Amino acid sequence: MILTLHLVALALYGLATALALAPFMGFRSVPRALTIALPCAGAAVHVVAISQLTPIGLGPALSMLALCLVLLQLASERLLRGSAVSFFAAPLATALVGLAILSGLAPGAEAAVARNVWFVLHVALSALGLALMALAFIAAALYLLQFRELKARRFGQVFQLFPPLEKLDQLNRFALVAGFPALTLGVVLALGYGAQFAGDLHAAKAQIVWGIFTWVVLGWAVWVRVVRHWAGRRAALASIAGFSAVLLVYVALKLTQPGAERFL
Amino acid sequence: MGGGIKVVGVNHRTAPLDVRERFAHGAHEVPGALARVMAAGAGGGVLLSTCNRTEFYLVSGDEPALDAVWTLLAERLPATGRTGDAGGEAREYGYIARDRDAVRHLYRVSAGLDSMIIGESQIQGQVREAWEASRAQAGPVLHRLFQTALHVGSRVRTETAIGRGTASAASAGVAVAGKIFGDLAGKSALILGAGDMAELAATCLSDEGVQITLVANRTHERARAIAERLGGTAVTLEEAWPYFATTDIALCSTSAPHAVVTWERVGAVIGARHGKPLCILDLAVPRDVDPAIAQLENVFLYDVDDLQTVAAQATVRRRDEIPAAERIVEEETDLFWAWYGGLGVVPLIKELRQRMDDVRALELERALRQLGHLSAEDRARVEQFSQALLNKFLHQPTIALKAAAEEGRGYGLLDALRRLFGMEPGGKE
Repeated sequence: MILTLHLVALALYGLATALALAPFMGFRSVPRALTIALPCAGAAVHVVAISQLTPIGLGPALSMLALCLVLLQLASERLLRGSAVSFFAAPLATALVGLAILSGLAPGAEAAVARNVWFVLHVALSALGLALMALAFIAAALYLLQFRELKARRFGQVFQLFPPLEKLDQLNRFALVAGFPALTLGVVLALGYGAQFAGDLHAAKAQIVWGIFTWVVLGWAVWVRVVRHWAGRRAALASIAGFSAVLLVYVALKLTQPGAERFL
Repeated sequence: MGGGIKVVGVNHRTAPLDVRERFAHGAHEVPGALARVMAAGAGGGVLLSTCNRTEFYLVSGDEPALDAVWTLLAERLPATGRTGDAGGEAREYGYIARDRDAVRHLYRVSAGLDSMIIGESQIQGQVREAWEASRAQAGPVLHRLFQTALHVGSRVRTETAIGRGTASAASAGVAVAGKIFGDLAGKSALILGAGDMAELAATCLSDEGVQITLVANRTHERARAIAERLGGTAVTLEEAWPYFATTDIALCSTSAPHAVVTWERVGAVIGARHGKPLCILDLAVPRDVDPAIAQLENVFLYDVDDLQTVAAQATVRRRDEIPAAERIVEEETDLFWAWYGGLGVVPLIKELRQRMDDVRALELERALRQLGHLSAEDRARVEQFSQALLNKFLHQPTIALKAAAEEGRGYGLLDALRRLFGMEPGGKE
């Protein structure tokens, strides 16, 4: 059932991705209602799937991350009154759900800990924090693309379909500022849970290293925006560098760790 | 009538902005430029010079007059050291349309069909201004041509939807600024220049909630009038430079013949904005803003070509109206050409009849001298016969000429007739 629901969500996200990319491939834009309805339907199915999921292991974590990303995409598109965020978010969410299915959605040997409310909160907040970081990355990428078009005086699809620079900058700032407390809480809950129930869950060194690294990178991105007042292109580059570093370190650690089904 | 109607010039399709701005003529330069071309043989001329085109409409202008136009334009290009063909460099950017094509061209221009933004209405005012500025040198044919061109422009805009919706460089400026700032309400704008274009664009910005803080112009009174209307302060151009450190939008539309917003004047000031974006809309031709300023990372500089490209995209729907507009242009071109063809028919027929009658009288006199035995009554009969014969001979050509003139084909026949019977201007009279 969980797998079937994930496959339906994957199909709907895949369709939403095709619609999001269509105008950039020379096809006519579809009605806005459809570009909202498809990810909404996908998210609804996805919520049902996740409610039946044991939130432990790589597959469930990726699935939760994808759901958070789709929900944030829908919220930000309502805010920006446009569908440009889906240009990056839709394929990313589709890929995450696909990877989740491939990784396996069944819980591992440590399924018992997943019933602990602190653990569930840790996973949910961490996924939200990471999704907000991904959203900051998407806003930054859109910003840089729109910036390049505006500077080069090109008035094609990017100019027409992407949101204004200032809106993208605001979205990037919001995503970072909201993502930091979410991720901080996620990391704190993980540390607290680890200290209290260390016997039930094996917290690998890699998990702690990556968690703290991600928190530091996100903290730096927030610091340069809020304290150093970075904005615009420089802030966008900082977001992209930060998210890329987090992703690369994760992949590097993942490749060195045993057990494909574990998050790390 | 020899030489017909011609249009010679450049437009946004054939010449880039930096060439067009060199070829642009201010109103004060028009009489002098036309005088030079007319001295080279043109019988009448109108100079239409806008940001998108510089076109000389000429009557009876043979090759020397056309060469004079190219030479005049080439003089405005930077010297390249080339010698020989004086107007060759300008000719590379331009075009010539003759007779019926020239008429159709002006009608299309006036209707906005040849504009970068299809159907834009500003061109009609510019056609009127060009006609008025050249009134003394236009001559009757071009008077009629420009008068009808304005009629065609009005007809096309009334009978088709080609002018519907907002599509101007000014509204495109608002759209571009919107892509930088999002919501424009509360943003500040500085206006350089106080002409009609500056006022129109400033009004567009003001309508979006932009606060017009300053209006800077060489003539303080004009700046004050706009500033008062839009709620800003009037200053001189020199006083405006420091405000480039704080304003969000700078709208430039002065009539200065060279860039006034230069790196030396505002480079350091813009550098002090700490990355805050500055949108500069340069609506002037020649451009007001040194393009080097766009190299600053936080500066987004757009000139008339850029804004017209944006506006052109917004007018895609107007393209559906083009066939209907072209039909009107064609119809009106036929009418004008019929009138133009008919212009020379009556005097030419008169002249032809007179010539033939002279020949008839001469030959009759010679014949009657040899027929001295004829009675007065018979002499009268012979004269009547010669008259009837002449009328019979000339009847069909006269009918054909009149019919051709009514159908707009008179010009070619008249030309042929002049050549056949030696009636060319300057020929055997």
